[in-house]
Amino acid sequence: MILDSKIPDGPLAEKWDRHRFECKLVNPANKRKFDIIVVGAGLAGASASASLAELGYNVKTFCLQDSPRRGHSIAAQGGINAAKNYQNDGDSIFRLFYDTIKGGDFRAREANVYRLAQVSNNIIDQCVAQGVPFAREYGGQLANRSFGGAQVSRTFYARGQTGQQLLLGAYSALMRQVKKGKVEMLSRREMLDVVVIDGQARGIVTRNMLSGVIETHAAHAVVLATGGYGNVYFLSTNAMGSNVTAAWRAYKRGAYFANPCFVQIHPTCIPVHGTYQSKLTLMSESLRNDGRVWVPKNPGDTRPPTEIPENERDYYLENKYPSFGNLVPRDVASRNAKEQCDQGKGVGSTGLAVYLDFSEAISRDGSGVITRKYGNLFHMYEKITAANPMHEPMMIFPAVHYTMGGLWVDYNLMSTIPGLFVLGEANFSDHGANRLGASALMQGLADGYFVIPYTIGNYLATISSSPQDTSHQAFKQVADEAAAKIGQLLAINGKKTVDEIHRELGLLMWDSCGMSRNEAGLQQALARLPAIREEFWQNVAIPGSGQELNQSLERAGRVADFLEFAELMVIDALSRKESCGCHFREESQTEENEAKRDDANHAHVSVWEYTGDGNSPEFHKEPLAFENVQPSQRSYK
Amino acid sequence: MGWIGSLYRSSVGKKSIMAASGLLLSLFLLTHLLGNSLSFLGREAFNAYAEKLHSVGDLLYIVEAGLLFLFLIHIITGIILYLENLQARPSRYSVSTSEGGRSWGSRTMPYTGVIIFVFIIVHLLNFHFTDKSVPVADLVRGLLSRPPMAFFYIISLLAVALHLSHGVWSLFQSIGFNHDKYNGVLLKGALAFSILVGTVFILIPVLALVSRSFLL
Amino acid sequence: MSDIQLTLKIWRQEGPDAPGRFQSYASGPISTDMSFLEMLDVLNERLTGEGAEPVAFDHDCREGICGMCGAVVNGHSHGPEKETTLCQLHMRHFNDGDTLVIEPFRARAFRIEKDLVVDRSGLDKMITAGGFVSVNTGGAPDANAIPIPQKNAEEAMDAAACIGCGACVAACPNASAMLFVAAKVSHLSLLPQGHPERARRALDMVSEMDELGFGNCSNERECEAACPKGISIRNIARLNREFLKAAIFSDED
Ligand SMILES: Cc1cc2nc3c(=O)[nH]c(=O)nc-3n(C[C@H](O)[C@H](O)[C@H](O)COP(=O)(O)OP(=O)(O)OC[C@H]3O[C@@H](n4cnc5c(N)ncnc54)[C@H](O)[C@@H]3O)c2cc1C
Ligand code: HEM
Ligand code: SF4
Ligand code: FES
Repeated sequence: MILDSKIPDGPLAEKWDRHRFECKLVNPANKRKFDIIVVGAGLAGASASASLAELGYNVKTFCLQDSPRRGHSIAAQGGINAAKNYQNDGDSIFRLFYDTIKGGDFRAREANVYRLAQVSNNIIDQCVAQGVPFAREYGGQLANRSFGGAQVSRTFYARGQTGQQLLLGAYSALMRQVKKGKVEMLSRREMLDVVVIDGQARGIVTRNMLSGVIETHAAHAVVLATGGYGNVYFLSTNAMGSNVTAAWRAYKRGAYFANPCFVQIHPTCIPVHGTYQSKLTLMSESLRNDGRVWVPKNPGDTRPPTEIPENERDYYLENKYPSFGNLVPRDVASRNAKEQCDQGKGVGSTGLAVYLDFSEAISRDGSGVITRKYGNLFHMYEKITAANPMHEPMMIFPAVHYTMGGLWVDYNLMSTIPGLFVLGEANFSDHGANRLGASALMQGLADGYFVIPYTIGNYLATISSSPQDTSHQAFKQVADEAAAKIGQLLAINGKKTVDEIHRELGLLMWDSCGMSRNEAGLQQALARLPAIREEFWQNVAIPGSGQELNQSLERAGRVADFLEFAELMVIDALSRKESCGCHFREESQTEENEAKRDDANHAHVSVWEYTGDGNSPEFHKEPLAFENVQPSQRSYK
Repeated sequence: MGWIGSLYRSSVGKKSIMAASGLLLSLFLLTHLLGNSLSFLGREAFNAYAEKLHSVGDLLYIVEAGLLFLFLIHIITGIILYLENLQARPSRYSVSTSEGGRSWGSRTMPYTGVIIFVFIIVHLLNFHFTDKSVPVADLVRGLLSRPPMAFFYIISLLAVALHLSHGVWSLFQSIGFNHDKYNGVLLKGALAFSILVGTVFILIPVLALVSRSFLL
Repeated sequence: MSDIQLTLKIWRQEGPDAPGRFQSYASGPISTDMSFLEMLDVLNERLTGEGAEPVAFDHDCREGICGMCGAVVNGHSHGPEKETTLCQLHMRHFNDGDTLVIEPFRARAFRIEKDLVVDRSGLDKMITAGGFVSVNTGGAPDANAIPIPQKNAEEAMDAAACIGCGACVAACPNASAMLFVAAKVSHLSLLPQGHPERARRALDMVSEMDELGFGNCSNERECEAACPKGISIRNIARLNREFLKAAIFSDED
């Protein structure tokens, strides 16, 4: 199969307009004959469900949590980008487009990213109209801040709770459609598989997480908005329920997976405390505006930070990158922290942390100014660690944060299974090899509010609107398979808990397919993974039954998929021999140990096709052409 | 008039009715209090006040009917609210503590309410459904110089004070008054009001008990 | 860092209709750096190892923002720390030898599903009744077209910070959901975008609340004291105002 990204012709700036014009329309009276399943109620899923229902489609929306208001998107703190140029500081759609493409290290499609920048402005308008209480200036205009090293102030925010407020906006729009009877909301439902009939996505199989009943649902199209897979590493900043199951099942039914090894690791998180640690907490990136990163010069120095004199401290980011200093991009900051810790200069009880020191900023600006800027972050840090960054340096360490990889989609956000659309973090589309701060929220909402409502019509107009039901034997077959898998899991009756095995998988992935990757390590991981999988299927312990709320069983199902998926990540990382964005291959670095991109051999999206259990996935390339921007090497020296 | 029905059926509506009736009852208490304070000036003043009151004739009946209506509304609504609230949590916590919001007044509202109710009946039997030819001052002395009755009055009036210590602040919250500008005044004012009401009313049975010259 | 040992008395209930009871567990050594939920994880790992059923509890973000976690610890919703969700409560706030009684949020409107997991769909139903602005996607005016005084935006944000955890209901002696409803009604009535529907919204949300079997507000202030996001009962006063205005003066019925 040849990958057709369906990028419209014409000049970059006109592609989306032209495409919207060329999209087939579904007659308004016919819309109500079409049923659409939306899996996921994060920003992407909730905005899509609401918008599709407003158009007249019948929508069924699913989520894992007890309420659609709790999707992982709710945890996003920093903000959302848009090219409004309200600050008159030189922003434009083209600049947002350019920054996003460049930030992604030239591994994303120009046309998709340009469309994202175009609709970014509508998102802000829409959210304000819904009542999202964005921060405002004294005079009542919207406030902006500069975020993640951007040269312009284009980030809109609602205190440190931007994701929450955007999600509550989308959620309220969704609930309004529930009231109108256009959306049926099914919470505490886990999608276990997609049903593909005659090559088209026709429905899904879910498990009712309270009763354990395996249910089937039919529709004319299925939209996946199930988020990212960062939890393959066990520890990440993602919510506990974030998983790859939906995407992985779709992959095994014929949807291609793109760039699975592209994982963003965020430099400023609270370090791990002990083996009981269940998740990692992000500390806003903005802290690096005033905090100075350092470690002791001498490995193994265990003195408390305040007793280490200036000349025995290594401000390694400032020394290595004099022009960007502490504000180097996320991947560079993360990699350098790891390097310091690998040299034994890490601090804290585990040696896996570096200091982020505010003492200079406090003596320069006064404690009042610093408290005003970071007081709530310091408070949050203190809650978790019982240490106050006003008096001693913060300890930080990188943590898995976001997955740029995902199911491959064309310009219409349709996967390689006709009728299966993928939105938000679950798709691979817009961030290339690295995502800029405040761009994920933008993408999730762009996909849900402003892209899918047009592009899904283009598909629906080509298929019959006759009612769909679950009578086709494919539904029964897929449901039986899902039930059998659950039965198999429950029958193992082993000794290790799901978390123990998940933790083991996570450590392996973190060490070999984390911030820095090399051939040998990846090969080792590839050799080790089947053994962990084997151990899981032989020795996992899952108490309870399948006919009830069983959280061990839920986790086991997800970990089973992570265990398979991890292999694809490693294979992808092996095949991309260049360093780009967050993917740092030690074999591909400059003399100064910086990432070296290889446009001659790797200017493509790596796309993987499932070929059966035990078989190697088939590799496909989607070449990336840059007609409007000139790929340049990043340099932060 | 359907809107009154829907208002009464709603939780917020019932609360506002509690608040409105509570406010009017509190105002009545205030006038009652002023009148009763005349007892401190001596029996002439007090008796004169009572006679004056009775001489207004029909108007008094109207006021009394109004009061009765207010009491009924307040009591019936209070009972409905209490029962509904009981049902809203069928299984109780095994450890019940306060998060730090409740006060003695707030947690005892229904109980102090019941005490007040019993008190009102006794009080009416004592002073309303009684031989109106006896001068009020003698009636008061006769009743309240007996320790059991005096203690009953004192306890009941403490209950009134406790009821109001929460009630007066609460009624403003119920009808929508809550602003930093006047929250302090409201809270302290409500407390002061309940203390004032409690003290002045309680002074009467106390004096009747201990003072040889009270109302003589 | 140090370890403490606790006695945990946890409510175990197999399903909505099953009778529940308390079961005691020795916690084993608990690091004071753990969060409360991590302490439960440790217990569950042990129970699983022993072949016993782990304690079911809801959680997702573990950052105090999704509102999924929550239980009553020694009589306190989300535990004894002020403005802290259960997932953000750390074990250093407890002492060696303490007994912790852990119960689910209890209210007629919150059915117990299993152990500490309760059904809070009532909160969604109240939002469905009117906690939104009726605006379709597309066609919104420029975001800066209507200036909103900073103070109003901030106050709206104060109310919008509600995470929908239900601790207010759990802590209220009457199991009333007024703080939750008040937070949403306030958020939207403080912004011009919410004004066209403010009367309808207040009436509908309150009537849905009543229908779902939540209790009545007695102004006990327990909700405010328990709320992990510090939502003020000033919002309840505003809801009362909005509701009474709507019921008495508006054309809506
Ligand atoms: C701590 C943190 C801070 C962040 N801050 C920012 C920021 O400041 N700015 C920014 O732009 N981005 C930020 N991000 C990234 C951003 O939040 C996410 O990428 C984005 O919200 C993802 O949205 P989504 O709708 O694609 O998926 P999610 O929000 O993850 O939603 C997934 C949905 O799918 C459902 N689901 C998943 N699997 C299944 C299944 N099998 N069956 C049924 N339902 C399922 C879930 O229940 C959920 O409703 C942050 C991320 C983190 C972790
Ligand atoms: C002198 C007589 C009384 C006065 C001045 C009075 C005053 C008040 C006031 C001001 C309130 C607060 C209303 C609000 O919060 O909005 C109140 C509440 C209450 N009253 Fe009374 N009251 C009196 C008698 C009674 C009686 C006789 C009963 C019951 C038998 C009663 C039962 C209650 C109850 C249960 C409440 C609490 C309602 C709730 O918040 O749910 N009261 N009262
Ligand atoms: S008001 Fe507070 S306690 Fe109630 S649901 Fe919202 S955040 Fe939770
Ligand atoms: S788990 Fe999300 S608020 Fe506690």
